[in-house]
Order: sequence, then structure tokens, then C-alpha cells
Amino acid sequence: MKTILLIATDSIRSLLHQRLLLALMLASLALTIFFCVILSHARKNISSSFSEERADNYTTVTNHMSVAEQRRFRESMESMTSTIQAGYYQVASFGGSLVAMLIFGTAVAGEIRRGTIRVTLAKPVSRSQFLLGKYLGGVAIMAGYALLAGGSIYFFAVSQNVDLSPAIKWGPWLMFFRQLMLGSLTMLFSLFFHPAIAALLAFFAGNGFYSSPNPLYFILPSYQDFNVFFQVIQGSLIDARDIFLLSVYAVDFVAIILLLALWRFRRKELV
Amino acid sequence: MAAIRIENLTKTYRAGWRGKETTAVRNLSVEVNEGEIFGFLGPNGAGKTTTIHILLNLIRPTDGAAYLFDCPVTESEVHRRLGYLPETVNLHDYYRGRALLEFYAALCGLPAESRQARVSQLLKLLKLEDAADKVVARYSKGMAQRIGFAQALLHDPDLLILDEPTASLDPVGRKEFRDILLDLKRRGKTVLISSHILSEVESVCDRVAILQTGELKRAGTLAELSAGRCTIITVKSLPPDVLNALTTTAVQITLAQGQFTIRCPDEPLHQLVGDLLRQNNIEIVRTQAESQSLEEIFFSSIEAPPRL
Repeated sequence: MKTILLIATDSIRSLLHQRLLLALMLASLALTIFFCVILSHARKNISSSFSEERADNYTTVTNHMSVAEQRRFRESMESMTSTIQAGYYQVASFGGSLVAMLIFGTAVAGEIRRGTIRVTLAKPVSRSQFLLGKYLGGVAIMAGYALLAGGSIYFFAVSQNVDLSPAIKWGPWLMFFRQLMLGSLTMLFSLFFHPAIAALLAFFAGNGFYSSPNPLYFILPSYQDFNVFFQVIQGSLIDARDIFLLSVYAVDFVAIILLLALWRFRRKELV
Repeated sequence: MAAIRIENLTKTYRAGWRGKETTAVRNLSVEVNEGEIFGFLGPNGAGKTTTIHILLNLIRPTDGAAYLFDCPVTESEVHRRLGYLPETVNLHDYYRGRALLEFYAALCGLPAESRQARVSQLLKLLKLEDAADKVVARYSKGMAQRIGFAQALLHDPDLLILDEPTASLDPVGRKEFRDILLDLKRRGKTVLISSHILSEVESVCDRVAILQTGELKRAGTLAELSAGRCTIITVKSLPPDVLNALTTTAVQITLAQGQFTIRCPDEPLHQLVGDLLRQNNIEIVRTQAESQSLEEIFFSSIEAPPRL
């Protein structure tokens, strides 16, 4: 376990030195700020359209309205807040997918290409330890990304004094698991193909194109179940039992894919 | 116990869409004894690096087997006794020199309390103290080679596998490297060196193996490899009829300082000349085997490549 943690720590260090990864993370952060600014402006515009009086405060505006106006105002605000939350989630989720594909696609393949794996595996490090360490390093980065995404949506909610959609609260959690599935599949494919091809294959390997009787529906990952975009738009709830089942499904899927990756990596020629 | 045992090793690669086969190593059998410095020689494409990669379990042999200290090379635990310096030193260049060595030391299982001391010792030995806090990406080729050698020595391994270890070193660096190798030999360590620099191999190796196109051409000590080759017979005089008889053979005869020197290129000719001299009652001043440099042995062992 100590060796796996050492490889994982090195992997994190290596990933944090990847300019493209840092650029993607910074872009996600910039988009978060962008969404917050848009929301702030949009709220002010809606507020001013409902009241002659300039006010930055929701309560101040609603105090001067009739009941019907208040309902319409509330609906407009909620609709806009939900749309922005869903948009924010979609951007964070897509950015996270790009980060996951980059991290997991190059984690092992990059070491083979650069030749650094030769020195590492000449140490008392088994191939399984190496691969699991690399995966764990990626998981840590993705956990950091999910925290960043969750933290920024929380910051957005507090700073704008809005209630978060019930579904968005689970967004970062489900996004994290979705990206772990995508990452494990990218890592497996990168042991067969070029990382870019591996990433594309993994990204489009979702079972969304198939329905229940087709065996592929059961084999391919079910990415869309982890997407809370429509639930955020509709403001609907997600059952805790569903969250639990989805989490278990993701862990099982990752475990199976990692076993396949280990099987392949043990047989792979590393030069 | 042999530090390295290679038995009938064959490695065939398949390349391209048609799966065209290329044999990099063909039925190779070699043993490297504990405590010796063994040179692995051969022109480009001889199969040296492929063999090393099999020993490191980076690639699988198509046939045959390889063992390190009697353990199959697939056992990663045997790497606790192994140090490796690759031909092209590709290390994690985002580390600073000292941090990189500490990372590898941790991977080797060195206890945390002795890790820093060992790293400092190696930085001093390889004259990298001034570059210890510099990012490895900014190292020169020579410095990268030195830190690569340092990582191979970290856990004081019993066996070192060095692939072209002095390729990027200046003459001073090569001398220092040679001294370190001789010190390792004194301490009973085993070293396998793959190198193109024959003079360097000659100065440190106990035994060598010469490979060409994946096949073992010759193996043994320098004395063994040059034995049975040229013999020099010195005589005081040669009657004209004997001289005439000798000139019809492949021997080379020179006259210097009133003595004839007869150079016999192989053992049968040496026997023939000896018989002829004895039959004619010619006094032989001395008979000696001609010493060959490793370069001469090397070139006499490999076949000339086909002309393009």
C-alpha cells in the first residue's frame, strides 16, 4: 500500500505540472466566476424591471409588488437561477470530463512514451502497484476538482443569496463518480490505443445509444444517469436511494475496468 | 549462484499491419557470475538493450527464460537487489535533484531516517551537490546521466545493469565512473555493462559477451577470447628452403634485429610451422600468443555488415 501511495503522490505531482491540465482547471474556475457575474447582473435586471426603485436586495424589491407580481418575479428568478445552475453544472461536468480524460489517458501511456516507467519499474514496484498508484493519483485530482466545483457552486449560492436546486447539491458527487468511470475506461483503452483515441472511445462509450434488450446497454457505462442537468432545470429531487445505487454501480464498474486494465498492463510490452 | 542467468532467450517482434516478424534476440544463453563486471558488446541492433529490457521484465521473451539471482525476472521483489541505469536517462524532471532521489529511495524501501543521509552521500559521490536543489529538467546531459547513476546506486544493489552508462559523460566523468565501478567490484557487486566504448569495457570488465543480430558470437574473459588466435614464433635463422616453404602458407614473416618472427594466424598453422621447424632442427627462441585488444577481438568476432 505504501508503494501505491508513493506512486499516487508522484502522479499528483506530475499532473500538477501539466500545463494543459492546469489550463483546463483554470478555465473551469474562470467559467464559474463568469456564471456568478452573469447571475448577479441578471438578478439586478429582473429586479429593476419589476420595480422603479433601484434595489440590490430581493426582499426590498418584493415589498413594493402586488401578489401576482411577486409570484411572477419569484418564478422568473427561480427559473433563471435553475438555468444558470444547470448551465454551471454542465460546464463543470464537461470540463471535469476533459480533465479526467487527460489525466487517466496519459497517466500510464505518458510514462511509457517518455520512458520514465523503466526506472520506476526497475525498483521493487509491481505493475499492479504502479497502475493502481497512477489511478489513485488521478482519483485524488478528480476529488479536488469535484470539491472545487462543489465549493464554487456553494460560494455562488451564498454570495447571491439563492437556494440551490435540490439536485445540484448531489451534482459534484455524481460528477465525481461519472468521471471516475470515464477515467478508468480511458486508462484501459490507453493501454491499447493512443491516449487521444482512448479518450474519444471512452467518452462515446456510454450506453445512451442502446436500450434494454441490447447486451451493450448492460456492458457500456451509463454516464447519463449521473447527469443531473434536467433535474436541476426542473427543480426536482433526487432520491438518496438512487444516489446510493448509482455510487455502488460506479464503484463496481470502476473495479471491473481496473481488473481488466491490470490484466492488460501485466502483459503489455513497456518499451 | 549466478547473478544473471539467461537460457535460450529469443525475442521476436511483430511490426506493421502484416505482422512482419523481426528477431531481436535469438537463442541467447549467458551467465553472469556474482561479483564480476560483465561487458555486453555488439553493434547497433545486436539485441543488447532488448536483452536488458527482458531482464527488467519490461518486455516478455518469445521463448526461453531469464533469472536474476535464480528468481524469474517477473518477480518484482528481486528488484530490491537491482539497480538500473537506462540508455537514455528519462527521469521525472519536475523534481529537484534531491527530491527525485528521495522519491526513488522511498520506492526502494529505504527507511526514512537513513534516506536523506544516503541521498547526500550519493550527491557528493557523483559531484551533484551544487545541483541538488535545481529542477532536473534544467540538468545538462552529463548531470542527468550522473543523477541517473545515483538513483541506480541508492539502495546499494547487489546487481547493477548499466545501458551505455558513459554516453553523455566527459573524460573526467568517465574516469570517475570507472573508479566507482572498480570500487563496486571490490565490494563484491555484480555489474552488467552494455557499451559501445570498447576501451572502457576492456579496462573494467572481467568477462564480455559479443552479440550480433541477436546472436551470441563469443563470450569469455579477454584472455580466453584471444587464446587460440595468433601465435608468434621467434627463431634466430631460417634456411632458404624452409623460408620458401613458409611463404607458401598464410604466415607472416618479418626480420628484425637479426631474428625472424613468424606470425601464425591460427592454431593448425601454428602446429604446421612448429613441425617444419623441428624437422629442420631450427632452434625456436620463443613462442608466444599474440595479445589482442578488445577492439581486435570485437571486430574479428562480428561479421561485416552487407554493403549498401
